[in-house]
Amino acid sequence: MRPCKLALILLFYCFSVSAQRKAAPVTCASCHRSQALTQPDTQMGRALQLPGDNPELTTHPKLTYTIGSYTYTVETQHGQSQYIVSDGTRSISLPILWSMGAQAQTWVIQNDGRMYESLVSYYPTLNGLFTTVGDEHMGPKTLEEAIGRPLTQEDVTTCFGCHSTNAVQDHKLNLATLKPGLTCEHCHTGSMEHLNSAMHGTKRVDPPSLSDLSTDDISSFCGGCHRSWELVVRAGWKGTSNVRFQPYRLANSKCYNGNDPRISCIACHDPHQKVETSVAYYDSKCLACHTTPRQANAKVCPVSKINCTTCHMPKTPFPGGHFIFTDHQIRIVKPGEPYPD
Amino acid sequence: MHSTTTQVSTNQSFHSSRFLRPPLICLALCMVFSSRSQMSAQTSSDFDSIVANASAAREQGNLPQANELYQQAEQLNPSWPDGWWYIGTLQYGTNDFAPAIIALDHYITLTPKAGPAYALRGLCEFELGQYSPSLQDLQTAVALGAATQPRNAAIIVYHEGLDLARLGRFEEALGQYTQMIKHGSANPDLITAIGLAGLRMPISPKDIDPSQMELVSSVGLAASECMAGHTASASRDFQSLFAHFSSTPNLHYLYGYLLFSADPQEGIVQFSDELAVSPTSAVTHAMLAWAYGLQGNFAASLPNAQKAAVEDPSLPMAQLVLGRALVETGDVTAGLPHLEAVLSSDPQNLEAHLALVKAYSKLGRNQEARQERLQCLAISGQGASANASM
Repeated sequence: MRPCKLALILLFYCFSVSAQRKAAPVTCASCHRSQALTQPDTQMGRALQLPGDNPELTTHPKLTYTIGSYTYTVETQHGQSQYIVSDGTRSISLPILWSMGAQAQTWVIQNDGRMYESLVSYYPTLNGLFTTVGDEHMGPKTLEEAIGRPLTQEDVTTCFGCHSTNAVQDHKLNLATLKPGLTCEHCHTGSMEHLNSAMHGTKRVDPPSLSDLSTDDISSFCGGCHRSWELVVRAGWKGTSNVRFQPYRLANSKCYNGNDPRISCIACHDPHQKVETSVAYYDSKCLACHTTPRQANAKVCPVSKINCTTCHMPKTPFPGGHFIFTDHQIRIVKPGEPYPD
Repeated sequence: MHSTTTQVSTNQSFHSSRFLRPPLICLALCMVFSSRSQMSAQTSSDFDSIVANASAAREQGNLPQANELYQQAEQLNPSWPDGWWYIGTLQYGTNDFAPAIIALDHYITLTPKAGPAYALRGLCEFELGQYSPSLQDLQTAVALGAATQPRNAAIIVYHEGLDLARLGRFEEALGQYTQMIKHGSANPDLITAIGLAGLRMPISPKDIDPSQMELVSSVGLAASECMAGHTASASRDFQSLFAHFSSTPNLHYLYGYLLFSADPQEGIVQFSDELAVSPTSAVTHAMLAWAYGLQGNFAASLPNAQKAAVEDPSLPMAQLVLGRALVETGDVTAGLPHLEAVLSSDPQNLEAHLALVKAYSKLGRNQEARQERLQCLAISGQGASANASM
């Protein structure tokens, strides 16, 4: 009796485990656990936030700011935020549906079926509102104009294309399929087919491998949102405002080599992890080339072997952005030297 | 002085167009004022007497005698710039464009920074059908500041556009006209010029076949609406054009070209529609290749680039898109000669240099890639606006 009972118990256990396994949803995290656990909490993972999931607005239930004769108020209650513009006589109140940005936040709002970029944004360094960077010139003349910058079709697909996943299909916005922030399939095209093939045991379909891309191609890939070197050159964007376009700045570096993986974006940054802010963390990246015995075209720093970025990648304020960026144009910085561009 | 110069201008038969007349007055006045101080430096009594008589004749409207007297004054003192200017403007006013050019040549030799003189010479050359030198002179005039006043700018930019269209550089002509539309300079002359450039007709407005006038004007109006950013009315006008002139080449191309920067996807749709009307249009294949390339879809870009190059191997845009598409799809070595061909005729072509960065990098020629990057930054910097909206 005993062995039989034991067999029954074992059979029941196996069946129940199997049933549990069948019931559990198969996701990217099922196999790519470490990446899937950390990526959603990165800045890219939180590049777009929906109502009810916006800690900045939740912790700042009432924000106000004045531009000329217009007063802006952002009020948040029970996870819902209203963007209110008033000229003292009339006011327009619109729900905030999409918050763009994990740190500074700009809102995309709708009025009469048209989308606008909010004329004010939330800046953590100010702990409040200020004019949205790039919109300083607007000078609205009516209450409707004071809402913000009307977005073109191209603007809309660009904003949602970079701040969310699956929102743009065939170059058109499709809010029904939008997933907030950047999820796996934003970068790994074909990952859903890969997931389906894994779930159903059909012929395995793998997304194109990003790790096989050259440094140049990775730079262009990341530059699809962070602005590629080529895009910035073509547009002729000069001045310190371009410090936020890291692929452009990096490719201007003398040490940049489009074929050397040691200078690739992903040599220093793991997009599945939060951005590492420790200066020391990056030393090993620099020393991968600038080390003894000296490697071709890579000098060894005579001053220090630690905290390289503090001298060679200076922090640079982004005008109007209330934010300081690390300048990715790696160089020997000379005192008083103008911003190289 | 004012009345004299006005008389010179109003006698010009070329300026029958209301669009062109006022700016020439400004141009001439500008030159006269700038040359007064040099005129007073002359001391010869014979010379002074001739100049006084010439001025009097000019003020009395006796233009042939004024011209003759200024010629005599220049024989006595060929280094007196003002006389050459008066001769140039008087002869321009009587449609004697070739001698006007000779007089202005002298003036420019003596006063090489005189932007308005380049502008006037450019206008004379345009009248003689010398479109390349005319374009060069008008561009020099702009560079020297002759187009700082809106009215002068209108006449110069308008003729630059006409020159470009006559030279087959229709897209650049449309760029000039777009500037004018955005500055609120719309008028029937400009609308006609836009229509000609839009239809890719390398003729002057006065040479339009009357049977085509309606088409040209309608196209000009529709395109000007698009240039002004009136997207709804532009769409309506173009749809009407497509319905009425369904087999006319270049209409979809024009609309796609004008839409492209704001709505690349709609641009692609229009270019594809154009190919249904004009399957051998090299520029359309080239623009389609370009549009796909900007989307990173070089697999779709390549066949269009190849067709563009087959249809018109002399088209720089075709060579550019083919070179780039070959580089991006892996045949870097085959792409290089096409890019070099572009640079041989246009060494400052930014797009060709951008493509070469990619090509050299893919070939592992890192130093050359670096040099090309620096070259791109230099070219880009020339037309850059610091901290432009991004």
